[in-house]
Formats: sequence, C-alpha cells, structure tokens
Amino acid sequence: MKWDLREVLRITVSMTVACVLGAVVLGGVYVGTERYRVTADRTRERAAIQDMLDLPADATMLEVRQYLAVAERQVRYRVATMGSGAEGPATELAFSLDGELLRLGPVTGPVPPADEPLGRVWVASQAGQALGFVIEGESRGYKNRIRFFVALSPALEVKGVRVVQHEEDPGLGAEIATPWFQAQFVGRTAAEVSRLDVTRDPMPEDWYAAVVALSTRGESPEYTRLLARERTLPIHAVTGATISSRALTRGVRTTVDHFARRWALIAPHLGGHS
Amino acid sequence: MNPEPVAGARPATPSPIELIRNGIFAENPVFKLALSLCPAVAVTTTVLNGLIMGVAVLAVQVLSSVTVAIAKDLIHPKVRIPVYTIIIAVWVSAIDMVMAAFAPALYAQVGLYIKLIVAFAIIISRLEVFASRHPVWPSFWDGFGMGLGFLLALLAIGVVRELLGAGSIAGVSIVPFKPLLFFALPAGGFFTIALLMALFNAIELRRSGGRMHSSMESGHGH
Repeated sequence: MKWDLREVLRITVSMTVACVLGAVVLGGVYVGTERYRVTADRTRERAAIQDMLDLPADATMLEVRQYLAVAERQVRYRVATMGSGAEGPATELAFSLDGELLRLGPVTGPVPPADEPLGRVWVASQAGQALGFVIEGESRGYKNRIRFFVALSPALEVKGVRVVQHEEDPGLGAEIATPWFQAQFVGRTAAEVSRLDVTRDPMPEDWYAAVVALSTRGESPEYTRLLARERTLPIHAVTGATISSRALTRGVRTTVDHFARRWALIAPHLGGHS
Repeated sequence: MNPEPVAGARPATPSPIELIRNGIFAENPVFKLALSLCPAVAVTTTVLNGLIMGVAVLAVQVLSSVTVAIAKDLIHPKVRIPVYTIIIAVWVSAIDMVMAAFAPALYAQVGLYIKLIVAFAIIISRLEVFASRHPVWPSFWDGFGMGLGFLLALLAIGVVRELLGAGSIAGVSIVPFKPLLFFALPAGGFFTIALLMALFNAIELRRSGGRMHSSMESGHGH
C-alpha cells in the first residue's frame, strides 16, 4: 500500500484541531464552573458531617488539615475553626516522622505547594469534651479514586462510613455507596477495623436484615445484638463488585489506623482549642 | 450506515415542525429506532431520573448536531467517527461539570450515568445520518426533535416503572404499597419498553390506516 503523504497530513491536522478545540471548550467550562463546584462540595460535606455525628446545635467544630512535608520529613497539622478557609488563621503543629513535636504556633497564609495533603479531620466538641470525629479518606477503586468519610466516636468506634465521591459502575461497584453496605462498618472499634477484611461468602440473612434495618431506621436493637457475633468477622462484599468492596474496606482500615495513631500525638496539644 | 456522507442526499430540507415530529413519532429513538435501550432501562426506575437524563441527552444531542453541522466540511471523512466521538465527549464532559457545579443534589443521583451518554448510539447515529449532510439550522431542529423524543420516551417509561414498581410518581406516593416490585428491576424495564413500544406502534398503525412506513435507516444499536 502506497502512502499518500498529503492525506496522512490532512487526517493528522483534522484530528489534532478537533482535540485542541475540544480542550479549549473543556478548559473554559472548567474555569467557569470550578468555583461553584467547590462551594457545592463544601455544602454537601458539611451536611454529611452534621448528619453522621448527629451534633447538638452548640457544638464547636475544628478542622484539622494534614500535610506531609516530604523534603523536611515532617507531618504538619493546621488546626482551624471549620469554614475559616484554607488560608485563614490556624494553629500549626509540626511533628517529625518519629512523632516528636517540632513546632506549635499560629500560622496564616497559603500552605507551601510542596506539602502533600493527607486529608482532613473534623473534631466536634462541646464544653471541652470531644463528641466525635469525621475523617476524610481516599482509596483507589475499580475506576477512579473513592473518597469517603469515616465518623468515629470519642472512644474510636465507627459511627458511620459514607462514600462522598466515586466513579464505580452503576449497579455493580456503585453499590458500595448504598446505606446497607456502609452500615456494615458501624459499631466496630478502631482495633477491630485495623484487622478488617472482605469476604465473598453470602451474607447471613439475619445480619443482612439487621444491617438494612440500621441503615433505614438509624438504629436497630437486632443489629446491636448480632454485632457481638459479627464485629470481628469480615465485611461482606457487594455481589459482582469485590474490587470496589475491598477498595473501600482497605481505605477505611488505613484511614482509621492512621488517625488513631495521629490523634494520640496531636490531642494533648489541642487543649486550648477544644 | 452509508460508508461516506453524501452531500445533497436529500434535496428538500424538512421544516422544524416536521423534524420535531419525526423525532417524537416516526423515528422515536427508543420506540421506533430501538437505540440506547440499555441506558433507557438503567435510569428510568423513577420519573425524576428519567427526566434529568432526558434533558442531558437533549442538550448533548443539540450541541453535537450543531457542532458537526458547522464543522462538517473541516472533518476529514476517513476519521469522522473518532471526531464525532470527541465532539460528543466534549459536550458530555461540559454538561457533567455544569451539573456538578449548579445542581449538586441532582448530580449526586444521576452523575454516574451522565458520563455514559458518550456511548449512546442515538447521538452518534444522528450525527452520521443527519447533521453531517444538512445545514446548521435543520440539524439543530433534528437534534432537538430526537432529544425530545428520547426525553419523552424516558418519561413514559419512568412513569410506568415508578408507578408499578414503587407506587409513586415523581416521588409523590400514589398508593401506600409497592404494587409490582418487578417493574423497578432491570428485567421489568425491558418489559415496560416492549409494552410501550407495542402500544406506540399500535396507535401509529391505526392512525396511518394499517400502513407501516419503515424508517429504520440508522441500523441497530445497543
């Protein structure tokens, strides 16, 4: 077959122009909508946190943003009141990787771009008493990142898990965002979660009924009763979506694990705040 | 599908009214062309989901048809299908971002399905069959008619499935129980489409006096 160079060139130009124009349109739409998407996301996050912790009206909320400063080999925490913005006044705690406190003091202005975000934690308290925590976590799903919140009680028991962003397949992986699947985590302690696994075995019918009851009514005595049997047993995967189920479970496990260790470090220094 | 778009295949350009009626009745994407049935089943468990999906498809179809009609002389015929796909993907992504920014509550419900519009057979088939051979204005009305036909079909399926499957319409409870849960499941979706398709064709047969005009020019989709 003979190559017609002009034809090849014309095809290349045609495709390239189409791609460039498409990129320009998408870039424009992104710039125009990004601000509103972030605002909408923040509103949704706030509602989810409020809902998961079931807070009284006079509870105060702290937002702890965690960063890894790779070059300095430090973990830094910026503690601020919720909604004060990423660059508002905050207290910064810096720890070495061995957990030694290096710095504690006020900080303002943008986070250095080299600092890698490790997610956020919200601490709810009332009259100096912690009421609960919501931790942001991320895990690699079947298609894209799965972003989720884990709510913990002051005793570090799971109060709820909620997937806030994912792109799993509708009808399969997307089922991990259903209330019944997420309810399986409720009531397990941080220590139990750190050993949590996933099984493909069918779910016992009484346990499934209890999980559904908990997720639809908010409480279930049957769930509390069966939890004694199930709390050390694995999470039951969504049928046909083992990868997504494992991804969320693994994410919850590492997120809770890391938080339990970090909280032990930073909690003593938050006295003036909470 | 014809291998190459033929310029001037249809000398007379149909009027907007004809094009819209064509999209809703004679070549209804779901009930006549039987295109994009999978998404039609997936999203129509409730009227609201069907409505949002229908509006999104309508917008993508109109935008893509107009884009192709404007750029048809610049698109190299040998790579027209990839270029159509890029055009559709761009508009789907744009609508996805706009929805995420301005309708977050709706986006949380149907956001996952919006991205799938890229692969809808109905959209690319209209680009190939119509927009690549007609001027901008008729292409706009053809896209509008086809999108509207798809939207109305999704609404009809959604009404039947939500009423029978969940006992409500658009979230408003009609009966206090779930009459036939089967209709909320995927298999029920296909049965609903089949029943509505039969009804649709029966009405059309009666109106045209027992004569069926075949308008299946765009082949089969999934």
